[in-house]
Amino acid sequence: MTKIRVFVTGTGIISPIGRGFTETLNAIKQKKIGIRPLTLFPVPFDIPLPVGEILLTESYNTPRTHKLALIAAKEAVRNTEFPPDAIVLGTTTGGMDLSEKLIKEKNCNPDLYEYHSTGTVAEYIARELKCTGPVLTVSTACSSGTLAIKLAIELLRSGMAKTVLTGGADALCRLTYHGFNSLQLIDPDGAKPLDKDRKGMSIAEGAAMLLLTADAEPPDNAVAEILGAGLTCDAYHPASPHPEGLGASGAIKSALKDAGISNDDIDYVNLHGTGTNDNDSSEAKALNSVFTDKMPEVSSIKGACGHSLAAAGAIEAVISSFVIQEDIIPENVGLKNPDPELKLSPSLLKKSKINTVLSNSFGFGGNNASVVISEPEAHPGNAVFKKRKPLRVLCFTCITGAGNAEETYASLKSTGKCCGKVEIDHISKILPKNKLRRLKRLPKMVLSLAVNAQQNGNDVKPRSIYFGTGFGALSETYDFLDKLYESNEQFPSPTDFVGSVHNAPAGQASIWLGATGANITSTAGDYSFEQSLLCASLTSAEENDPMMVIGADEYHNVLTKILDRSSEPDSPSDGGGAFLLTHGEKSGLNIFVPFFEYAVDNKNIISSLMNRLGGVDRIKELFGAVFAGIPAYKRTAGKIQLSELRSEISYSIPYIEYRKFTGEFASASAVASVVAANCVNYGMVPSLSGNKEFDLNNKGILIIGFGDFITAIEIYK
Amino acid sequence: MQDFITHLKEKIIKTLDLEDITPDDFGEDDRLIGGELGLDSIDALELVMMIESDYSVKIDNKELGEKVFASVKSLARYIQEKNPELAN
Repeated sequence: MTKIRVFVTGTGIISPIGRGFTETLNAIKQKKIGIRPLTLFPVPFDIPLPVGEILLTESYNTPRTHKLALIAAKEAVRNTEFPPDAIVLGTTTGGMDLSEKLIKEKNCNPDLYEYHSTGTVAEYIARELKCTGPVLTVSTACSSGTLAIKLAIELLRSGMAKTVLTGGADALCRLTYHGFNSLQLIDPDGAKPLDKDRKGMSIAEGAAMLLLTADAEPPDNAVAEILGAGLTCDAYHPASPHPEGLGASGAIKSALKDAGISNDDIDYVNLHGTGTNDNDSSEAKALNSVFTDKMPEVSSIKGACGHSLAAAGAIEAVISSFVIQEDIIPENVGLKNPDPELKLSPSLLKKSKINTVLSNSFGFGGNNASVVISEPEAHPGNAVFKKRKPLRVLCFTCITGAGNAEETYASLKSTGKCCGKVEIDHISKILPKNKLRRLKRLPKMVLSLAVNAQQNGNDVKPRSIYFGTGFGALSETYDFLDKLYESNEQFPSPTDFVGSVHNAPAGQASIWLGATGANITSTAGDYSFEQSLLCASLTSAEENDPMMVIGADEYHNVLTKILDRSSEPDSPSDGGGAFLLTHGEKSGLNIFVPFFEYAVDNKNIISSLMNRLGGVDRIKELFGAVFAGIPAYKRTAGKIQLSELRSEISYSIPYIEYRKFTGEFASASAVASVVAANCVNYGMVPSLSGNKEFDLNNKGILIIGFGDFITAIEIYK
Repeated sequence: MQDFITHLKEKIIKTLDLEDITPDDFGEDDRLIGGELGLDSIDALELVMMIESDYSVKIDNKELGEKVFASVKSLARYIQEKNPELAN
């Protein structure tokens, strides 16, 4: 078995206490507090709430999240000659700081929203660093930064990359500032984590990146080793953590197991420690349940840095690497009177030999992630190479303009199309009405898909949920901003804020299905569903439990036409698809994502794709049709890529452009995959968008995404 | 007071989209949050916004919220106490 250890070979950090290694370390030594009243935008309060704001002088022509991400990324790769093989970032705000201003001005020029979607941050960094490999974006609220690191580790362990740049970035914006305030989660005096008088967090901004390198032995420039990480979901409440910390303790135990160490090996815990009553209480219970004999040193840095949401986990992982390098424990800044009910003794600033650190991040949707970082020679990692394998399809379902799955297949058979926008009440009628009160279009679609897939799968219970969405819950996002602006920024809806978070629908699905394993929301634009399938094959490898993979997007009358350049406002479409999957023998239907790479400035991408697919002979043997996905906005580039692929494949195989029958929306590939799976099951492809009906001759269907990414999904028996 | 309680029930139903619920379906002393209506902490915060916007009464912390949102009657009392103009 080939051993694969994961080393930190570069770090970059920008937070309210400083930029870069030296400034940040000095700030920790001086117990600097980076929290001040907000100045970034006007607010209708006498005294703006304290936040962790960063003075940015860079003139990059992008929103703040992108700027912060690039500053951290450049620092992390400053000593490397080659671009990273892959990038995995977590972000929740994306270009929201700019978009929300434009929406306030009712400016509907789509050109100005170019950097809106969360996936654009990682793509921007990829272009700046010339990375042409897998570029992944996750958006799981405040656990995103740590969750991104877990995915990066698994990319390295799977052999898909030798170096990965990973981390998180988020910028202050009205949405999160007013959103958290509407939930009464902001301490007007600044966060004081673990204090008995704590009143909430201080929302902040920032970014941090880690350059991770896979190797059997520590390279010379290794500053730390990532031993492992664990992911769980509370499956309890959309915004409150489990009161006993069950999900949190599960993530910690899973991280320790993945790291191959025991709880006694942890010297220091960098807490999530936001300063909200519920988080600190839940996290303390989790720690006390895991570390029963000996509690390690513990502290939260959020009294100093504030809570920078998706950046927080990455910032804390980078600071954890400083802790290991410098043998220094950061003080739990802001704390005056430790809360005796927490049964923790928060650390004061001190020098102490620290070999191994546990860093926790927890977020809305009950999303939990923990990572173990160590001195390279303290507990040499013993993870081995894990080849990704196809997943077995238990069942699948979809929602399209034609209706549910049966209605979709019928419509495809009779008209060759299923585009459009279905009446949501028609779809969600399978769900109990009283549970839908707070849910709008996207979560209703996702829950209907999840419940329907589970029913079709003989009530097999998925443990993990992987959700891909190009743009997330647009109705909730729009309604939140609309109410905020209508009330002169005074009375936004807390319900819409909680619902606007990208991973809210997947969090809802976890509660309904009792899915307490990994819960990953991927936001990679038109390729979000493909990324979800990829994440499923990466992170579920150690579990034999079933998983649900869902892709869905909603059409919103105002936002979709300005955010999704491919959308067709005159004939809008939306919908999604879901697969219940498991590991196991290759009997029945299989699904696999062999290829997912960034296509910008990637000249040889089609020949790389052909190699990964196993060449013409394997394609000929295994597949009876190609479903091609070319987003309308990328038509010119996509057509060129498609013709290049056709000349490589060279023999005659039917090509079907699936967006012609699904309509244009970011998760169209999820519907295309469900339709393909149904075709492979029946052995026939009906007359779709002009093609004649044909026999697959017991072969599968290859689904290729074109445009800014080239992706491949294989579906075969 | 009784009229204000009925008015408040209607506001709650509208604010929280409580379909199929009428003011007669919940008693003035019934537990409002965590009771049979199925309301939770997020609903309570939604009501906080409505009450501040429509009655200019702030309920700005959880401890106070727990007392005020015990029932519709306690909510009506608190609003009237803080904003006596709404007494009738």
